[in-house]
Amino acid sequence: MKTLNRKVYTGVTIGALVLGLPLAAQADGHQGMDVPKITPTKVLEGLENPWDMAFLPDGTMFYTEKCKGLSVRTTDGTVNALYGMKDSSGYADSADDLFCEGQAGMLGVVADRNFAENRTIAVYSSSSKYFGDGCETNFGKCDGNIVMTFTVSDDLSSVSDRTDIVTDIQYKPLASDQPFGGPGAHNGGRIRIGPGGYLWVAGGDRHRGICPQDGTLLCGKVLRIDMDGNAHPENNPPEGFDKRIYTYGHRNVQGIDFRPSDGKAFTAEHGPWHNDEITALVNGGNAGWDPAQNTAGRGECPDEYCGYEPNQMDGMDPAVRAAYTPMSDTRFADLMPPSWNNNGFSQGTGSAAFLKGSNWGIYEGRLAVGIMGIGFGDTPAGSRIDMISLTPDGLGINGITRMPLGFSTRFRGLVMGPDNALYVATDDGDIYQVTAESMQ
Amino acid sequence: MHRLSSAAVFFVALIVPVYGFGADKELGETRYYESCVNCHGQAGKGASSYPKIAGNESSYTIEKLRAYREGIKQGPNSSLMFMFAKPLSDEEIANLAAYLEDAI
Repeated sequence: MKTLNRKVYTGVTIGALVLGLPLAAQADGHQGMDVPKITPTKVLEGLENPWDMAFLPDGTMFYTEKCKGLSVRTTDGTVNALYGMKDSSGYADSADDLFCEGQAGMLGVVADRNFAENRTIAVYSSSSKYFGDGCETNFGKCDGNIVMTFTVSDDLSSVSDRTDIVTDIQYKPLASDQPFGGPGAHNGGRIRIGPGGYLWVAGGDRHRGICPQDGTLLCGKVLRIDMDGNAHPENNPPEGFDKRIYTYGHRNVQGIDFRPSDGKAFTAEHGPWHNDEITALVNGGNAGWDPAQNTAGRGECPDEYCGYEPNQMDGMDPAVRAAYTPMSDTRFADLMPPSWNNNGFSQGTGSAAFLKGSNWGIYEGRLAVGIMGIGFGDTPAGSRIDMISLTPDGLGINGITRMPLGFSTRFRGLVMGPDNALYVATDDGDIYQVTAESMQ
Repeated sequence: MHRLSSAAVFFVALIVPVYGFGADKELGETRYYESCVNCHGQAGKGASSYPKIAGNESSYTIEKLRAYREGIKQGPNSSLMFMFAKPLSDEEIANLAAYLEDAI
């Protein structure tokens, strides 16, 4: 018997060598299934609420800090502080209209697809420049979130030519009677370059009940525009809507990316103590969030916002909340149903990026989603990065694997780097490079 | 003399629950990482829109946590704090406050 086993093992070993399977894969018993080795490495630390990053092909990394401003890490590791906010210091330039408050501040950043020619980047931030008289109560228009473009100097030491290409995304100016009820709530803020080089801007409902379903307001919307701020000519929102709108009915979108296989846009969205959602976007579609009072069978709500009802100050079964104010209300005929709803929980889906490159092995093409739970009520905190395999039609999932990082924290910003590594900003003040090494 | 000792004991009994003398920082740290770290970050240094809570005098933290436990509103995220503070005992509050005083 021993002789037989030895012959079998010898045969398998020779066969494996002949077939060219790497020894590491043989040792792990993963023949035919490439489970990559995933390794996180801190590349920047001691930052103040890093929120988003954008890469150039050579690895240069722009990044935002929510209450400080925009910086760049060059390929030799040097950091240049480029554009600061009100009361920031040490930046090459700054602007007093840019501010942070609560969840608001300097958020998303992207580089233009043609950066090599035009050296243009875009940044999302809160700004007081366009407040006008709309910010005296929580029930006015209050244009307090903007998108700017800048030209970056050749030596990456400064930016110039600030142009405000979107000036009318709504902002919450005052506190309200809600949990997380301070000013600056629900700004969305992630921006990404999509197919064709268009700029996608993810928004939030800024705690105003009418925002998501009102087509004249940009709060609670995803925009698709060019780098001058003009609507994409093929946007197809309902009649009477602002033409910059690609989708509406959103609560607070902090994650958006495009599936490499077909360019389809997917969002990751915070739920209101129930149902975080991943959604495949449809041009002109409705994500189904409608926290307005006196609608859908509801009466009046605190500060005209039903987003945390029917019991906003205590824990309760998430399913009961979901029935009262659904994240995806099926009464809308143009509803985009979610691909995933976090098993009915809200743990704070903050950002999302598709994993690109064969080095990710079996995870290539999955959507990495950063989660930032606080453990409210009986909901487990569950801060993690999930790798979600989406179905081809985008309407469901095949499975989820938790990214094996060896630690848990609030994963705020995710973006792929040109080295096919995932870069991750955490609310603790770190930016990690997460590499995946194929075992085949 | 006996009367003096009684007065001292009475005084200490009044002070201890308020200022947390003899509080256990290690237990406070353990409790912190059970309930608080998800919002306030490592060692109470603050994260996102959740404020830094390390570095305050122990008496300040005790006062705040007791108020939250009693349901007294102290800011826009009070409802969250009510829920987290509600199950805390006096001893746990004192331990947390002692840990946070010099956690960073």
